[in-house]
Amino acid sequence: MKFSGPQSIFQYQSGRVIALGRVILSSLFLFSIWLDQSQPAQAAAQTYGLLLFYVLFALAVAALTWRNWWLDARLAAPAHVIDMAVFTAIVFSTNGYTSPFFLFFILPLLSATLRWGWRETMLTASALVLLYMTAGLLVAGSEAFELQRFIVRSGHLMILSAVLIWFGMHQQLGRLFLGLDEIDRRLGRDDPLVQALAVALEATRARSGALVLASTGGQEFAGIRTTGGRQRPVKVARPLTLEPIPVVLFDLPRDRTLSMRKDGWHRFAPASKLLETAELREIGADHGLVALVRSGTRSGWLVLWDVPELSGDFLELGTELGRAAGAVLDHDSLLSAMEEGAAARTRLSLARDVHDSVVQFLAGAAFRVEAIMRATKTSAEADSELRELKRLLIEEQAEIRAFVSALRHDRELELAEAVEELKSLASRLGRQWSVECHVRASNDDASIPIRMQLDLQQLMREAVANAVRHGGASRIDVGVGVDEDSLRLEVKDNGTGFLPANGASPVEPWSLKERVDRAHGSLSLFSEPGCTNLVITLPLAGAAA
Amino acid sequence: MTRVLVADDHPMIAAALDVLLRGTEYELVGRARSGADALAQVQRLRPDILLLDVNMPDGSGLDVLRQLRETRRAPATILLTAGMEDPQLVAANALEPDGIVLKTSDPAHLLECMQHVRKGERWVDPEVAERTRDAMDRAAAAPSLTPRERELIELVRQGLRNRDIASQLGVTEGTVKVYLHAIFDKVSVDNRTELAMRAKELLGG
Repeated sequence: MKFSGPQSIFQYQSGRVIALGRVILSSLFLFSIWLDQSQPAQAAAQTYGLLLFYVLFALAVAALTWRNWWLDARLAAPAHVIDMAVFTAIVFSTNGYTSPFFLFFILPLLSATLRWGWRETMLTASALVLLYMTAGLLVAGSEAFELQRFIVRSGHLMILSAVLIWFGMHQQLGRLFLGLDEIDRRLGRDDPLVQALAVALEATRARSGALVLASTGGQEFAGIRTTGGRQRPVKVARPLTLEPIPVVLFDLPRDRTLSMRKDGWHRFAPASKLLETAELREIGADHGLVALVRSGTRSGWLVLWDVPELSGDFLELGTELGRAAGAVLDHDSLLSAMEEGAAARTRLSLARDVHDSVVQFLAGAAFRVEAIMRATKTSAEADSELRELKRLLIEEQAEIRAFVSALRHDRELELAEAVEELKSLASRLGRQWSVECHVRASNDDASIPIRMQLDLQQLMREAVANAVRHGGASRIDVGVGVDEDSLRLEVKDNGTGFLPANGASPVEPWSLKERVDRAHGSLSLFSEPGCTNLVITLPLAGAAA
Repeated sequence: MTRVLVADDHPMIAAALDVLLRGTEYELVGRARSGADALAQVQRLRPDILLLDVNMPDGSGLDVLRQLRETRRAPATILLTAGMEDPQLVAANALEPDGIVLKTSDPAHLLECMQHVRKGERWVDPEVAERTRDAMDRAAAAPSLTPRERELIELVRQGLRNRDIASQLGVTEGTVKVYLHAIFDKVSVDNRTELAMRAKELLGG
């Protein structure tokens, strides 16, 4: 679908092709008649006059409609009638065996095929054959008339008509499949709105566009808007079209619209009658097209503006792009549902496995410790160790139960709740490593996905273990907070840091980094003797995946 | 000696209980590995106390408890669980076991519970008691569902698509959508995946 150079002048520009064809054909015809001494066979002065008028008419139409889709659509039918009338007059005046009228037969037929559909082509062909027969019969008495040639030429006309009607029928189907293939090839797993809009912008070479969809259960429409390669969210308060029309070309400064009626004819209406012009202006679109987008679950509009070569062809192309955008949204919903289902099944299966193995094992271990404490006489020191071991086992079980619960119910929780858990973990880690460990929180009224709580706990365990083992820290301060769309964990300690005193190479916190990478987060480390500051940020949006 | 039967499919727990009860006033007379096995061994061994795990193959602990409630010479039963969802807690409480102990609590709780049960008293783990109260309060405050809504939730839980649900209920797909959205609003969920995940709780087990 990507064109460049002179080809792009005619991409989706049937009107231009027809207008240019008319100019070349009429000039060529005038020139050939002037060279051919045998022509015109009848009414020479009138024929030259008619041809001269036709050349001027062709030039005027081409000049007026070259950059004006509205006028092109307006003049299409009258110009078509004039083309056919000129054809009849030429057949009448140039009935000799060298008459090049055949070319004039092709022009209206090709126009109908390119501009409209096979039905219009068939109508045009029938009218032209009928006009040819009538004009032929009118000049049948003249000397130059040859019956055999007349019959052979009639046959040619009918065969050519059949070929062009067939072409018209298959051209539309071909275009549609090309469009969908393109969408399918480009379909990624990024934001489906961005994908659908990008494909539409490229297909139409538009510089600006927006795709807005009805929000679930609300009256508002929300989506994205792209101008000059930059994207930003956009909201629309009211439906963009006042009637359910697949595609509307609009020119707000001139208060014009062009759309297709159900019977296939053009419909011209003031923009204010068909569109919510204030909303379109609010988006920034004053001259372009609006296409209806419908998927199985959502509906909305695709708006394209700053389109370099807008033409009547965009009525068909816009319909395809609207459908394709709907297909992208459907495809994405399907993939999301499948992913959610698979993720839920994995979570539940993991929860069951952990519950059935680790939890039971720890419970059994705690029972055994209790049995040893009760059955054997131990020293006070050993008894204290066993009590501590039992307590650690019970606390570990509580954490694993929270983990299992988080896996079973993928919900959000207040950061304050997670912080309470972290404080209790800090006091346990403090005892375990014989250090002072404190947690403070900022902006703790925010919500985080429950699974992020598990990440936080593991990160804190590893950070504290690193600080003590590698840095010999005796005091660790942990800060937790939510900044916009990410969670921030800061661990400060008073150890020697990640630079060992013996001059060995710095110790990389690789296990922490691995965990952070898996959560699509980032890690930064500032380390000097007496102070190490580790900052981890985790995106909130990707945590549920 | 008080005769004790352990019904638990996890070898680690059974072995640990064997060690824990050794040298006490309790005698471990047997071990069952499934619900059906537990019922058979209760008939055969006639224990005084049955330590019953909740999640077991071939008949859960609650199924066993339900059947024992219908027999005349049933042993005192202590539910021993590694964790129950709220609907299970409510259902377990309704069956009035003699004791409920969490495997994840302090193991001393089990011995304390057995002491009380041996004397004919009921003993429930403090955490379980609190969670049961909360779950019952929530159930009382929860929106009541019509039989048709309950049926629909059950079909969503089975993973049926709207088209299949519609043909099963003899309504149009549109009607199913309307019903589903009404249920989403009523039980405060956002989508059918969430509804399916909460189905057990909403339908009460």
